[in-house]
Amino acid sequence: MISFVRLQFVGLAACIFFSTASISSDAVDIKDKLVLCESCHGGEDGMPVNADTPILAGQEYYYLYVQLKDYKAGRRANPIMSGMTAALSKDEMKALAEYYSSMEWTKIQPEIDQELADKGGSALGAGQCSQCHSKYQGDSRVPRLAGQQLPYMLQTMKDFKNKVRLNSPAKGSLMDSFSDEDLAAMANYLSGLQQP
Amino acid sequence: MPVFDKKRLCLAVGLVFGAAFTAHAQEVENASNFGDMNTVSQDMLNRAGNDGNNFLHTNGNYEQTRYYPSKQINTQNVKDLRPAWIFQTEIVESLETTPIVVNGIMYITTSFNHIYALNAATGEQIWHFKHKMGPITTYCCGPNNRGVAVYEDMLFMGTLDAKMLGLDAKTGKLIWETELGDPELGYSETMAPTVVNGKVLIGTNGGEYGIRGFVKALDYKSGEVLWTFHTTAEDSTGVWATHDATGRDMLRDIDAEKAKLAEMGDPYKTLGGGVWQNPAVDLDANRIYFVVGNPSPDLDGSLRPGDNLYTNSLVSVDLDSGEYVCHYQYIAHDVWDLDAVSPPILVDVKNNDGDMVPGVLHGGKTGHVYVHNRDDCSLIRFSEAMVPQENMWVLPTKDGERMLPGANGGVEWSPMTVDEKLGLTYAINLHQPMTYHVESSPYPEGKLWLGGAFKVIPEEQQWGNITAVDYHTGKIRWKVKTQQPMIGGILATAGGLVFAGEGNGMFKAYDSETGSQLWRFQAGAGVNAPPASYSVDGQQYIVVGAGGNTQLNYKRGNNIIAFTVSD
Repeated sequence: MISFVRLQFVGLAACIFFSTASISSDAVDIKDKLVLCESCHGGEDGMPVNADTPILAGQEYYYLYVQLKDYKAGRRANPIMSGMTAALSKDEMKALAEYYSSMEWTKIQPEIDQELADKGGSALGAGQCSQCHSKYQGDSRVPRLAGQQLPYMLQTMKDFKNKVRLNSPAKGSLMDSFSDEDLAAMANYLSGLQQP
Repeated sequence: MPVFDKKRLCLAVGLVFGAAFTAHAQEVENASNFGDMNTVSQDMLNRAGNDGNNFLHTNGNYEQTRYYPSKQINTQNVKDLRPAWIFQTEIVESLETTPIVVNGIMYITTSFNHIYALNAATGEQIWHFKHKMGPITTYCCGPNNRGVAVYEDMLFMGTLDAKMLGLDAKTGKLIWETELGDPELGYSETMAPTVVNGKVLIGTNGGEYGIRGFVKALDYKSGEVLWTFHTTAEDSTGVWATHDATGRDMLRDIDAEKAKLAEMGDPYKTLGGGVWQNPAVDLDANRIYFVVGNPSPDLDGSLRPGDNLYTNSLVSVDLDSGEYVCHYQYIAHDVWDLDAVSPPILVDVKNNDGDMVPGVLHGGKTGHVYVHNRDDCSLIRFSEAMVPQENMWVLPTKDGERMLPGANGGVEWSPMTVDEKLGLTYAINLHQPMTYHVESSPYPEGKLWLGGAFKVIPEEQQWGNITAVDYHTGKIRWKVKTQQPMIGGILATAGGLVFAGEGNGMFKAYDSETGSQLWRFQAGAGVNAPPASYSVDGQQYIVVGAGGNTQLNYKRGNNIIAFTVSD
């Protein structure tokens, strides 16, 4: 709840102070929408305002589009994003996804617990995560995980495990089979990964 | 109940070339059967098993024996095998390609659908094609591609975004493309096509996403779809089999399944049934034989009552029409993903009366080699288990149940090979202990739909093996343990050798009769692609990709390495 209030404030502030990047696709003008996105996910530098907010800059187009659809449909519950997507058309979602996916991935310096991260490789192996995520760089509907924000990644894994995030049932089953320490280990490992 | 069609047609092509169709490959000494033909004729493809120059099919020949008939490289001189050249592709990612060689020109593919044409003697690049991938791809397990097919002056490749491409073999120029399925719903292509009599044959991935599987035949000139065989039958219920092919009870609750069927109807539209590997072609009978993968969702049988035909089955259809001929289901209503993936092989086998009959071999994820009668697909025998089997068939639970083999096998997609003189087939296997977890969820419209999870047990040792099986008896002749689970494929040659690679970068040659290791090479990345062989200017080469593997997370690379015996 605290996070929600804070983000709402940031979003409103962004509406007033931020200027948007030069974006509108040929068919869809997303400038106004983007102001709200950038208030949390960062502006042209793609740097999210908070560590529990995911990096979108350089994320996969189709993954982003599907997530926006799922927020709107209620398959992925989040009080902020559900509201943000409620009035978005499919074309606007595609344009937003295209905008962010066309950006360079934002490199961060996460505070990694190396001891935990060292255990993450084994947990990822147990889950056979590379079968879909390969080198964790993302492709199409599979998101990039390498170098993603650590608190966000850990939270979303827990959301899968605790059935808060329901838009990928296979992930829910898999995360449910891991301990919280395993999840933390995987999040530390993945957040510490950068380019292959 | 298997049905069989006694009508063994003799096609016009069969009449023309019938005399040349020999089930047993002949040994050759650098012989050129076709001079310097660059155009791949149907005759060349038919005779590929005896072709000592080219490597024209992903699995060597239409019978898919992966037996190369030259013996220039043999048990005596293999110790002198050295790299002749190394070609590095642009893509550092899982390599599963089988190089195809036509009169000194080699065609290889990479992950994400690149094709390279190379000088097979030098490794020099001739051209490079990159597929313009669409924005939506949905695939398991890795952005792989297993190679091209060749016919006349064209090449054919399936793509991750579920298209089939026809290209000019001389230039790499795209001629046509055909959409095979909707990638948003989980359709994708990683297998190499097979071309026969002007038809490009292709299956589909997607058994992890709730697709309806198929095998299609396309016209090679235009890309037009000529026929489609759906691998999930509209009546997929079957015979309510309670035991698997080996006679073990699968602990099905048939009453509950029948009640569910009455409630929901037949689940065939989202039942999966991917076809991951090439069909074998019986030119005399005008039939093809392929194996069908797991039902969707993998671990949750509650949403798919019935036997789920034709998942986990050997299937034969008519080459001209795609009409069903016969099938044999190994595991009805599979909830372990121990499905049928490795490509079938056509050889003559002894039946249980001791008579030689046309047969089909398949290496299963269960760890058995299954031996069938080609006429009606019926099972003649199954081999001794090549890997440990424990707790079969315990049903998956929410917290997970340990069972061996793990869900990757046994024999995964890796093609086997055959030395018919020895009556042996060679399989590469995995031993990966896993727990099987079930959790029901409705069809997620193109997202991963496993109905639970498979988990490797990190505390337990994993390993692999190469196993030689006498397919006339089902007995294991020899077995060699490897450090890691094996995936990729294997090649036998008339030189008395079998070649196979490992995830740790080792590429090795073994005596095909005894299993003695005769040669090894460290390739620097996982050797998880099927090897091939060919000859140029009288010099025999062995070639293999070393690019690692996504599925087992073996070290990635981008090397195609050709070996020869130095002068």
